[in-house]
Amino acid sequence: MVNILSILTMNMISPINIIAVSLGIAFFMGLLGNKAQRTSYILLIAALLFNTIVSLQWLYGLANNLVEAQQIFTAGYKPPFSINLLMGLNEAVIASLINIVGLLGAIYMGSTLKKNGSGSQVVFLVLFMSLNVIVLSRDLFNIFVFLEVGSIAVAGLVILQKGVKAVSAGFKYMLATGIIAGIFLIGIIFIYRFTGSLNLDQIIQSNPAIKQGALISSFLILIAIILELKPFPANGWALDVYQAAHPGLSAILSSAVGTANLYVLYKFTGMAGDSLMHYISLIGIVTFVGSNLLGINQKKARRLLGYSSVGQIGLLIAIMGLLPHSNSNFKLIFFGILTSHYFAKAGLFWISGIIKAENIKEWSVLRKKPVLLFLFLSFILALLGFPPFPSFWGKWQLVMELSAQGQFAVIIAILVGSFFEVVYLMRWAGYSIKLEAGTLPEIKLSKYIPVILFGLGLYAVGYFVSQSVEFGNTINYLPLLVVAVLLVVDFLPAFVKNSLSILATGWFAYLLIPGQDTIKFIFTIIFLVGGILTLIPGFQIKGKREGFYPSAMLMFGGLALLIEASNLLQFFFAWEIMTIGSYFLIIRGKKSMPHALSYMLFSVGGAYLILLGFGMVSAGNSGLSLDLLSSIKVYPVLAMSLMAVGFMTKTASLGLHIWLPGAHGEAESDVSPMVSAILLKAGVFGLILLMLASGGEQNSYSGLFYVLGWIGALTALVGNLGAIFQEDAKRLLAYSSIGQLGYILFAFAIMTHMGWLTGLTYTINHFMFKAILFLAIGGIVMKLGTHNMYEMGGLIKKMPFSFIAVLIGIITLAGIPPLSGFGGKWLFYNAVIMKGWYFQGAVVFFAGTIAFLYLFKLIYSVFLGQLKDNHRNVKELSIWFLLPQYILIIGIMVFSAKPDLILKPIGNAIAMAFPSNQLTWEGTKALSTLGYWDATTIMVVIGGMFVVLLGWLMFMSRKAQKVEQFNMVYAAERPERPELTHVSHNIYAGYNKALGFLVAPGITNFWNYTTNLVESTGNFIRRIYSGNGQSYAIHLVSYIVIVFIIYLTAI
Amino acid sequence: METIALITAFALILIGLFGILSNKNILKIIIGFSLFDTGLHVLIVTVGYIKGGTAPILDKVVGTSNAADKIVDPIPQALVLTAIVIGLGVTALMLAYALKLYQAKKSLNITDFKELKW
Repeated sequence: MVNILSILTMNMISPINIIAVSLGIAFFMGLLGNKAQRTSYILLIAALLFNTIVSLQWLYGLANNLVEAQQIFTAGYKPPFSINLLMGLNEAVIASLINIVGLLGAIYMGSTLKKNGSGSQVVFLVLFMSLNVIVLSRDLFNIFVFLEVGSIAVAGLVILQKGVKAVSAGFKYMLATGIIAGIFLIGIIFIYRFTGSLNLDQIIQSNPAIKQGALISSFLILIAIILELKPFPANGWALDVYQAAHPGLSAILSSAVGTANLYVLYKFTGMAGDSLMHYISLIGIVTFVGSNLLGINQKKARRLLGYSSVGQIGLLIAIMGLLPHSNSNFKLIFFGILTSHYFAKAGLFWISGIIKAENIKEWSVLRKKPVLLFLFLSFILALLGFPPFPSFWGKWQLVMELSAQGQFAVIIAILVGSFFEVVYLMRWAGYSIKLEAGTLPEIKLSKYIPVILFGLGLYAVGYFVSQSVEFGNTINYLPLLVVAVLLVVDFLPAFVKNSLSILATGWFAYLLIPGQDTIKFIFTIIFLVGGILTLIPGFQIKGKREGFYPSAMLMFGGLALLIEASNLLQFFFAWEIMTIGSYFLIIRGKKSMPHALSYMLFSVGGAYLILLGFGMVSAGNSGLSLDLLSSIKVYPVLAMSLMAVGFMTKTASLGLHIWLPGAHGEAESDVSPMVSAILLKAGVFGLILLMLASGGEQNSYSGLFYVLGWIGALTALVGNLGAIFQEDAKRLLAYSSIGQLGYILFAFAIMTHMGWLTGLTYTINHFMFKAILFLAIGGIVMKLGTHNMYEMGGLIKKMPFSFIAVLIGIITLAGIPPLSGFGGKWLFYNAVIMKGWYFQGAVVFFAGTIAFLYLFKLIYSVFLGQLKDNHRNVKELSIWFLLPQYILIIGIMVFSAKPDLILKPIGNAIAMAFPSNQLTWEGTKALSTLGYWDATTIMVVIGGMFVVLLGWLMFMSRKAQKVEQFNMVYAAERPERPELTHVSHNIYAGYNKALGFLVAPGITNFWNYTTNLVESTGNFIRRIYSGNGQSYAIHLVSYIVIVFIIYLTAI
Repeated sequence: METIALITAFALILIGLFGILSNKNILKIIIGFSLFDTGLHVLIVTVGYIKGGTAPILDKVVGTSNAADKIVDPIPQALVLTAIVIGLGVTALMLAYALKLYQAKKSLNITDFKELKW
């Protein structure tokens, strides 16, 4: 293969042949007439294949330095007397992209093109010829001519789609491009007048930016090119075409035509002065943010893709204006984001033509064809800049570059625009995964293959870009390989994939653990051993469980990478991988669609804050090491706060917690413990990293940590209060997680030795008891088919092992001696008293007493009281659910009896950062400055008391009479239904009256209000796209005038 | 002479633009485009004009040695030919569209074609 290519590169085919061959074949096809459809279609494919080969050959040659860039002078004259073309590396890349989509696009549109005869095929070929010319040409007027030829060709192809919609869209398109062409022409003729040349290089040399008149003509040219790129809001004409044209044509417009026009803009930016570059970036940003805002309410798939296209191209325009083109990373950033858009948009438009679903809600038919669903989701994630796609690297590097320039406002604007895009694209993804699936039309191979190739291309280019980005070669792809393997073997039965996943998780742990410091070791155990334990229940599930294991391993792999990360890029990569995986896990629950979306939105928002913070960390520093967190040069307090809030979206702190109850409560039974006991700790891990880097005891962020302490305390209160009013067992546990994570945040924010011991103890405890509780309750919910506790009751006799597990779980949670929760409490009081945070401490203490209420409710309503009629035949949970619970119980017992095994090394590990007032150990006895605690003795004493009392109780009740369920003679009542004998519904009604206002959904209302505001703003602005082609023309002209006026006032 | 041509050119461009933006009738809009294009063509020729210059054709009077002083700039003249051809193509296609639109709805009022919006 390489030999063939190198032979080819010896004899480079001149790029002018692209034009010559295309023209020749086009004329010949015209001569063939409409009868020889098949012949002319073969000729078309041959011509497009030829173009592709020529451009790829140049790409190969130039990229490997086998040949030099070639200038071609037509007719043998030098400019300005002739037109010249340039084939350099840039041109080769762009032309290759264009020609590939041309070739595949012609295959995709094969049946339409054949049906419409050679005429349409000629037009198709001419379109691609003109795109090649505008990329290669260095002559202004030549570019104008072929831009026009391209526009006419597009307008011709639009009517391939039948119906008045396409015709009117095409006419609007012609109106707009006609005006744009006129403006362009005026600019060209005046630039010729002022510089005496039409050759770009000569014009740039003569530096028109310094001449007043020439400046205005370069303004006209630039604005015309920008208008070709459909800037918001002067782009109604383009949206109509995206929506109404044949999807194959929309794909070409978005990827090929968009790419070519962007390259034209790139060529022209050379002649714009700095002041114009400024405007270009502004126009780009406004387009990116505006178009994505308007996309939010769009329900029609292709129009939505149109909005997204406009937005993505806006971002690329912005990048063009923001970064100096000499910047060493400019091309990488641009290429990364461009290729993601290119592959994903073409792929999505093509899919839209395959499934023929106009409304985004109908896209659930994709589930009938898992490969197509996988590609669809890949394309969506690529557009949103998730790893491992090229845009992830592009966006990362872009943020780093802009941070280095101190352009934080621009970064924020770009992140806001991206966030809007996440809203509508992820909602769409959710629909495709969850909604009722209709029937999938028959898929032609010719339409299927291009989509698959573009999906593969996306991954390949993503890898390529990652290897070129700074520090990109430090990324560990092992977890993604595991995910890929699981995707390939997704057809196997669940137990096989479950075993594979457990093996892989164990393997990650085996690779990670050696040489790990204590804190990372603890999190490795939580993430990966926890992973294995929560995967075990999966053995109970019959069938294939499609898509579960790739998602789970994406999450666990991301968590493993998080621990391994030694630089900011690795950390962010891991963070995003974990987020995607957990999203796909959470959305699997029956009613999880809206909750998964809200989880995603909070996660992405948090991730963007982290990214912004990382940008500030990298600015003014060299390298990307995580150690830089301790030497932030730019706005350190702000950077720290941004990152902290980012991590707190994952720990669900107050204000950012509203996604959690739904996401954890509605998830599948074995997913809830994964996301609750394990995933939440990722946020804790991030916070720990930050706080350690902040300098420990001697940090300069005491104000920030003081606030975090309060947030933690209030989160504990609100979370626990929320829990007591739940009737849904899993939601009760979910609210309880919010509360527990509040304790953890509070404890770490104390920033003392004792505080951190408390925090880590709580972290370990919460991992163990929440996994037990969610496994037990989740298993029960799955068995009984209801979440409502008042529909349960009396299960203690049916499920004694689950009862014991839950009992131990809630004893640990409540901090009752002798179990490890008590140790946490003891440490907590020490820490609070030593720090002097009495008010906050009181709030947390109060929250702790509330915890008793919901724990009582949980165990009472579910296990005690009266068995319900329909549960008479319920059996104990399966071994696969019980096994991990009992392994964790052993863990709790060990931690309770011998806490020094874990707390001593933790104390040593944090002593560096927190040297004062350490906990000292005498054997199993822990000594603080305030007192002592001997866990082993407590265990022995209380254990002894328990055994004695239990024995006494059994002895005393040996003669007790066993009665049937309804044998309640004492009350003179005759209960006939279990419900009448068991107060379990709304048992805390009184508390609700007293404290209910504290859990009134104020925060939920706030987020709802914000969402509505954004949506209605978008909806309101969207009305400017009235559908009237003439209005669009007026928008266009007004846009020019307004930008011109702003421009004039500035120079 | 140059000034008059320039004024004419811009006047035509603006009249054309006004016609495009204000007429509801699609055919009139297309006529607006023709005016707009014509204005552009006049502009191109005007920009290349050199006072007292003659047609850029080499003959007995204009030799290779003194061509640069005698003739008007030939490049805009070449450009205008291309521009006219393109204008023709655009107009033809627009008329084809007008026909199709009329066939679809028996109307040439542009406000009648608002199926796609928002």
